[in-house]
Amino acid sequence: MLDSITNSRYFYHYVGAAVTALTVFNVFEIAFLLWNKRRVERSEAKRLELKRLASTALITATAPAALLPAPASDDDYAAYSEAVASVLDSFEGEIAERARGLISELGIDAYYRRLARHRLWYKRGNAVDILASFRLPANREFFLAAFRQEPAPEVKYRLLHGLSRLARDHRDIAELARLLSSLPYLTSKYNEDVFFNVIAGLKAEAREEEFGLFMRGAMDDQAVRTMVKRDILNACYAAVCEKGRPVLKAYYSAFAHEPEVLVACIRALARVGDFSAVPQALGHPDWRVRMAALKYADVCCAQLVPEMRALLRDPNYHVRLNAALALARSGDTGRAVLKAEKAGTDKFAAQMAAYALSQEAA
Amino acid sequence: MKLLVWLAVHFSQYVVFFYFLAVNATYSLLIVFALRDIVRHVYLSTARAARRQLAGEFYYKPVTIIVPAYNEAAVVLQSVRALLNLHYPEFEVVVVNDGSTDGTLALLKAEFGLTFSLRPVRLQVPHEEIQAVYRSGKYPNLVVVDKLNGGKADAINAGINVSSYPIFCSIDADSLLEPDALLKSSKLFLDDDSLIATGGIIRVMNGCTVKDGAVLEVGLPASTLEALQVLEYTRAFLSGRTGWNALKSLLIISGAFGVFRKDMVMAVGGYRRTVGEDMDLVMRLHRHCREHDIPYRILFVPDPVCWTQVPFDLGMLRRQRNRWHRGMIDALLYNRSMILNPRYGATSLAGVSYFVFVEFLGPLIELFGYVSIPVLWWFNLLNTKVLVLFILLAVLWGVSINIAAVFLDTYNFKRYRKNTDILRLCLLSVVEFLGYRQIMLFERLSATLSFRNTGWGAQARKIIDQPSKEAAR
Repeated sequence: MLDSITNSRYFYHYVGAAVTALTVFNVFEIAFLLWNKRRVERSEAKRLELKRLASTALITATAPAALLPAPASDDDYAAYSEAVASVLDSFEGEIAERARGLISELGIDAYYRRLARHRLWYKRGNAVDILASFRLPANREFFLAAFRQEPAPEVKYRLLHGLSRLARDHRDIAELARLLSSLPYLTSKYNEDVFFNVIAGLKAEAREEEFGLFMRGAMDDQAVRTMVKRDILNACYAAVCEKGRPVLKAYYSAFAHEPEVLVACIRALARVGDFSAVPQALGHPDWRVRMAALKYADVCCAQLVPEMRALLRDPNYHVRLNAALALARSGDTGRAVLKAEKAGTDKFAAQMAAYALSQEAA
Repeated sequence: MKLLVWLAVHFSQYVVFFYFLAVNATYSLLIVFALRDIVRHVYLSTARAARRQLAGEFYYKPVTIIVPAYNEAAVVLQSVRALLNLHYPEFEVVVVNDGSTDGTLALLKAEFGLTFSLRPVRLQVPHEEIQAVYRSGKYPNLVVVDKLNGGKADAINAGINVSSYPIFCSIDADSLLEPDALLKSSKLFLDDDSLIATGGIIRVMNGCTVKDGAVLEVGLPASTLEALQVLEYTRAFLSGRTGWNALKSLLIISGAFGVFRKDMVMAVGGYRRTVGEDMDLVMRLHRHCREHDIPYRILFVPDPVCWTQVPFDLGMLRRQRNRWHRGMIDALLYNRSMILNPRYGATSLAGVSYFVFVEFLGPLIELFGYVSIPVLWWFNLLNTKVLVLFILLAVLWGVSINIAAVFLDTYNFKRYRKNTDILRLCLLSVVEFLGYRQIMLFERLSATLSFRNTGWGAQARKIIDQPSKEAAR
């Protein structure tokens, strides 16, 4: 076959053309590389300058739009959007309002809404991220409509994240939870982040009870997955749901056979100073529940030292370790138990006791 | 006899010609996939996302950084200091002193105020005996493990057992992580439950200005040998690994910087004691997940950066490449059930096949080409014009792949800012074909013949860091 190729009268033409093409391509590649580097450096410098200008105008001027050039390129819009997002992250009140005003005045939101319909999913995703950072209430309907039409799950998750910053009452949150449950489960941290945003937003407006209403409704809502319910409780822990104590207790009772929900309840309750679930949880058959309870056992329940001591012989390493640490934090009675265990015959319990005592001493 | 010669001539032509076409076409395709992947990644990993992660008081997963150290007295303090300065909400650094004989442990004890810890260690993956565990009085998140020598894989296993967090990052003691590298790589675990391992890019520290464990200014090393390795690393990571990423066939996460889900690594029994422990672990993770129908992803991400020292003399470089090649052969042999096995999907048919047919058999075919082509030419079985055109084609194609890798780097990451550095990398793309490539080829062939050798080979370290005046005092 090679003979037939090399014997062809065009062979040398083809190979010669390939060599020439590759030479030209390499020279072009180097020239393009240097040209592009220069272009990127210039555009970066321009973007930084515009961002700095916009941030200064937003903070110092009453009508910033009048001082800023109208955006004309992708870079201009990116610079303005970054400036606005960073001002919104750092300021509230008048300056934040001014930043939101600038978004509409310069057509930044309209630009990114157009981009959110781009044929490439990652460009849509980026546009949605930027729109979400503006926290404009007017975007809520846009996000919901986009969610219904969006084919890419990657973008849908971003849309829900954007919605989480705009939820204002329990109906909005319930819709969000249902939409979240309609997608394949992403990660617990993502869900926590979504509900954390919701709680933080409601707290800022002193409407935390809306989240309590939502939680009550979600408890029996079959359209909201149990794992999502667990993540809601974890968000409650992270955002400290001070008014959620009764509903957290209701969850603890309703999900007695879901260890992960119980762990989330114990933590969220403890965060608001309620340790009523701890004594019962120390005897739970699932080691994760026992361990979660041990984290707080020394704070609430000095009378539970015998139960904690028994857990030094738990089959699970983490439970034994946390039992020893809880005893070490339980004052003289706990430390006396540890000293006795340290001199005891149970090797595992003795090791844990020795470690906990050394930690306490340190 | 005539028939045999005829067969040999034709066979050699076919093999060399198709190998040349297949390899270069694969590299070119990988560049295209890499460009697509990198552009996508750059769009989605914005400063906005990083700010959100840093601002959220709970939006992270705690990470253990495991640093195996064997005779690393020259660099270990700088490395640990740099790790303790990482931007990350909750992490611990576990340095595993793997039976060093150069005073590594004494240095660590003196610098960080280590005290004996009684915390019991749970044996989950096997390793040599731990002699002591120390905690730092100055830095509560620093743990030092002193154990009997067992090799790098064994040391990381000990680190896994001592670690407290669900994700661990293993890095070399002579490497420096950029302050946001951990943030960028661990963020992926927040976005995707199926992610089990990820690795960032390894960049060459030689030639850079380093101060207090941080790379301040990036530059190309003056030595041609070191600069050629910059080109190699750029090509291997930005076009190679990013390209394999797109094909879901990533088989190597560099031992110098990899982040893993601890439960999955424990499920495969931890690291195996071999010189190619990084590739072997990733292959076993693929196997485990495929065999148990576990949805999983193993990803390379191009923006978390780990800076590492590369060998600065030819002897060290040859030893390193020899070890890498032996490690690869060992990993392929141990996981041979993955070779051309449809059960393992694209990982087997694309990734493993590439390593078997290009990385393992490639040096043999290349050598065959280097010998047979001049012989054919000498006996007038190949005319001079074909010979010259073929060589030009091979070199120019290779050069265009190299320059494309430099382009990927400059286009997206802009690490080398000086035009002279970039032009020098382009020039080195040609220089690579004039001796360097052939030396590496012979080293890989030598490694193929001695693949049962499990020796690691000592590597000398340069002290690159220039401590600040305050630190020096």
